[in-house]
Amino acid sequence: MTEEPGQEAEPIADEILAAVSDYLDGALPADRRAEVAGKIAHEPAWKRAHDELASTRDALSGLQKARAPESFDKEVTGTIHRRSAGRFFGRRTFGDRVPFGVLLAIAIVILLPIAYVMWTSMTGSLKREPEREPPGELRGSQSLVPKPP
Amino acid sequence: MSELERSLLRRLRDRDERAFRELLELHRDRVYNITFRMLGNRAEAEDVAQEVFISVFKTIDQFREESKFSTWLYRVAVNHCKNRIKYRARRYDRAHEELDEMSHQANGAVVGAPARAAQPDRALEGAQLERLLQEAISNLDDDHRIVVVLRDVEDLSIEEICDITGLPDGTVKSRLHRARLALRKKLQRHV
Repeated sequence: MTEEPGQEAEPIADEILAAVSDYLDGALPADRRAEVAGKIAHEPAWKRAHDELASTRDALSGLQKARAPESFDKEVTGTIHRRSAGRFFGRRTFGDRVPFGVLLAIAIVILLPIAYVMWTSMTGSLKREPEREPPGELRGSQSLVPKPP
Repeated sequence: MSELERSLLRRLRDRDERAFRELLELHRDRVYNITFRMLGNRAEAEDVAQEVFISVFKTIDQFREESKFSTWLYRVAVNHCKNRIKYRARRYDRAHEELDEMSHQANGAVVGAPARAAQPDRALEGAQLERLLQEAISNLDDDHRIVVVLRDVEDLSIEEICDITGLPDGTVKSRLHRARLALRKKLQRHV
């Protein structure tokens, strides 16, 4: 692809470059692919487009793969710990995993019988105070007190 | 999606730290490579790659499993890179304005300006060629850079790039053509 100094290569039409680019990507249907392959084999402009694009693509795919630094994992997890004050990791609590509605239903089912037992119990704190008769003379108390002569 | 990947996702949703470490082990180098090729700077690439994994971990519940997990992960990575590039451009503009206001001196060395491509007389090899390629990539438009990094550097399929970028097939292809054209022009004498 290196040119001789002072020698300007003729510009390649955009359509040729687009077709060759698709050809290199394997993005052409079979008949069109065969047609482009034929042109690359026989026409200089097409061949030049192919060679130049292929070598550019090869150079890019041949770029060294950059690797994350050794400390990368430690730094990421450390950042997460720091930002969440240590709460981010760790299995979720029961309340996080079970929907609130389900927890509420379970709580109602458990609490209702307890409330009922307390209600009916003589010693339960939830038992309603029985209605008291208003204080007054005890029935029959008159007969116990001797009448004055 | 494989059963292994599904299980890893389940554990990630349970905020299992070991699952997160497995995720890092599987994807960190590729994500780092994408951020490095997109940003052209190791320190920034590392910073952004870290943010990518933190975002993924925080928003894992939003992943609906409609695409491959890696596709979703790369989408997050590309979006973070785009944000960083925008932030950098804003910062560069501000720095540039401040410089203009302060001195009006045209000394050529502007804060944050991309390094000028070396123009060696002969074809470069090894590290020099690597640097030349990276500079050529860095000088592409953001939209062109994304597709060329994903296609030619990372070897992802056009279909996958469409999923990652949310662009139609034709747009991805035409951007790829233009990006390759621009690179071809820049590298013509060296590759």
